[in-house]
Amino acid sequence: MNITATHIEINKIYEISSLKENDLTLKLAEMGCVPGTEIVKLYSAPGGDPIAFRIDSYILGLRKSEAENIFVKESELV
Amino acid sequence: MKRIALIGNPNCGKSTLFNRLTGLSQKTSNLPGTTVESTSGELKLKSGKIELIDLPGIYSLFAQSEDERLVVSTLLGIDVPRPDAIVFIIDGSNIRRNLLLVSQVAELGIPSSCILTMADTAKRRSIDIDIKALESELGISVTVVNPRSDKNIQSAYLSLENQTVGNIISQNDNFEHRLRSFYEGNKERGLSEETLKRYTDIEKIVKKVVIGSQTRKRNNTIKIDKYVTHPVFGVVIFFLVMMALFQGVFALASGPMDLIETAFNWVKIQIDEFLPNGMWADFVRDGILGGISGVIVFVPQIFILFFLIGILEDSGYMVRASFITDRIMRKIGLNGRSIIPLVGGFACAIPSIMATRTIKNKSERLITMLVVPLMSCSARLPVYFLLISLAIPASTFWGPFHAQTFVMTSAYFAGIFVALVFALIYKFIGNDKEKSEFILELPTYQNPRIQTVISQAWIKCKTFLSEAGKVIVVISMILWALSSFGPEEAMKTAHLKAVELSQINKKDSAQIHNTQKLEASYAGHLGKFIEPAIKPLGYDWKTGIALISSFAAREVFVGTMSTLFQTPEDDDQVKGIRTKMQAEINPTTGKPLYGVPYAISLIFFYAFALQCVSTMAVIKKETGSWKWPVALFFIYGGIAYISAYTAFRILSHYF
Ligand SMILES: Nc1nc2c(ncn2[C@@H]2O[C@H](COP(=O)(O)OP(=O)(O)OP(=O)(O)O)[C@@H](O)[C@H]2O)c(=O)[nH]1
Ligand SMILES: [Mg+2]
Repeated sequence: MNITATHIEINKIYEISSLKENDLTLKLAEMGCVPGTEIVKLYSAPGGDPIAFRIDSYILGLRKSEAENIFVKESELV
Repeated sequence: MKRIALIGNPNCGKSTLFNRLTGLSQKTSNLPGTTVESTSGELKLKSGKIELIDLPGIYSLFAQSEDERLVVSTLLGIDVPRPDAIVFIIDGSNIRRNLLLVSQVAELGIPSSCILTMADTAKRRSIDIDIKALESELGISVTVVNPRSDKNIQSAYLSLENQTVGNIISQNDNFEHRLRSFYEGNKERGLSEETLKRYTDIEKIVKKVVIGSQTRKRNNTIKIDKYVTHPVFGVVIFFLVMMALFQGVFALASGPMDLIETAFNWVKIQIDEFLPNGMWADFVRDGILGGISGVIVFVPQIFILFFLIGILEDSGYMVRASFITDRIMRKIGLNGRSIIPLVGGFACAIPSIMATRTIKNKSERLITMLVVPLMSCSARLPVYFLLISLAIPASTFWGPFHAQTFVMTSAYFAGIFVALVFALIYKFIGNDKEKSEFILELPTYQNPRIQTVISQAWIKCKTFLSEAGKVIVVISMILWALSSFGPEEAMKTAHLKAVELSQINKKDSAQIHNTQKLEASYAGHLGKFIEPAIKPLGYDWKTGIALISSFAAREVFVGTMSTLFQTPEDDDQVKGIRTKMQAEINPTTGKPLYGVPYAISLIFFYAFALQCVSTMAVIKKETGSWKWPVALFFIYGGIAYISAYTAFRILSHYF
């Protein structure tokens, strides 16, 4: 399955599976978006962009284009 | 003296702890990126005095924005000596991400200890941390401190004395070398892999250290955010908040302002009674006191503005404002993060220009810096107020609008509008290849700490007053000298002419003497010299002098005007400068010289022109050259001139 964080269902728990390789990879990884981490789409700003996610235990705002770099899968952790 | 640096993620409580320990009052707020500079404070431990350094927060040593790079250069000992020891500040509610930085910095081998903050937040989320286990994993002492409450502060002192080199989970043999090279702008490969590896190791630590965790529990922050970021409510709330900000400033401040004004009038009367009449009394009363009171009267407004912005920041709302405005800001070449300096610009441009350091993209940062001075800062308030109350009676309505409020609001919007246009122009002429980025942590909402916000707003007011005070005293002295003395010939002629005129008119001889003398003085010559340039805008030579003097700082305008409109010596009542100015009649038109067209033209001038030496200096400091401040001086000066001219021409038809 190859869905990115932009397109996931709101309030549903997913798990980060990998990051797209580009200039943003380092920054996203540093912010805790690493494979295996829980990710939940919470809400977006008026106009749908940027989007706020819960990454592990904190809330991170990302632009749509930035969230496109995060691949997720449905969480196996229950 | 031993130097110890506070290192940690943004918004984890470094500055709050720093203030507690050193007794200083660095700005703190619930907003990642509050601190953008390095600040030192001294403190006494059992083992002797140490220097504690508060730094901006960073997520990683591979820093990209200016504020983050400052931390790296401090840790690497570039430009400044390397700190002798480090205190890690770790946010207990977010251990995993905080440990990434710890694991990177540990590789530098600097003795360290660790203070864990936000234990209360962690507890509320049922995150339980085994401190002993964390100590043994990191190999350094770990102390739990809540820097907001006094209780545990003693243990923070212990932490400062108990520093060791911790366990290094080395990922790389030449970490420091690679870090240096990255800092110098070289591309380093494998950094994201390295980060992922670090997280794998950190995961092992977290498994041992964090006992229970219920991060999935929906908390209040998310519930509130549903409304704050809602497509309809979110926008409505944003505009309501901004309106409340300005309404609040004017509504809450009017009481204290009246009090201060009454108090100053009383002081003026006392001076008149006790100081012998003459040059010195005039100078003290009109120049210094007039100038300073013209500014002190606005302290309540400045205070309330800083206070309300402080409340917005410390609650966590300003970060949401960034979040919801990012889409629009991006379109005009700015960034969601720009909203914080822009709103701050209504209070004062100087800290706001520094706050742009958190914007990573160079062009977005530059544009934000360049348009911040167009936000009507608090120093313009005294000028706007004087001019509005001068020309427009409080009871006037223009159609459905209360005229005074209408003009004041327009002045603010004019600044915002020109800022938008300029941002767009800068965006199109600049060639920006760097990618824009908006990756922003949204912190948990909290009850703002009123006491801290009050004391920080008060500090801002004190700085404003002492800076304005200094400038006003200096300018008043120069002005007084320039207006009391003049070329001998001219002064003599003026005297003779005044005698002659008062014989014809048989009234107000002191008034006539003053006017004649002022006109013949050096100040008069200066004013007359630039009069041709400002006459099209509707200003006379006296306004010209005030205009020149307020290029040092805008608030000087009020003082200068009151020096120039000195109350005649034999005048038995103290008239305010307003009454004096209102009495002046334009000899050619017979209308009041300082009427509506004059006032509005001048308000436009002040709204746009870059009349603040400190702002120019800070832009120079942040951009690294005089190019931008000088360019802005002329560009904004040009806009000020053209719009003032247009306003005066158009309005002269109607008033
Ligand atoms: N609940 C709780 N809040 C805290 C604690 N320590 C600090 N805070 C709050 O966290 C917010 C951030 O504090 P600051 O001291 O400004 O954080 P900082 O680390 O200096 O942040 P930057 O300068 O942005 O890097 C403030 O609103 C503090 O009141 C704590 O132990 N518990
Ligand atoms: Mg700080």
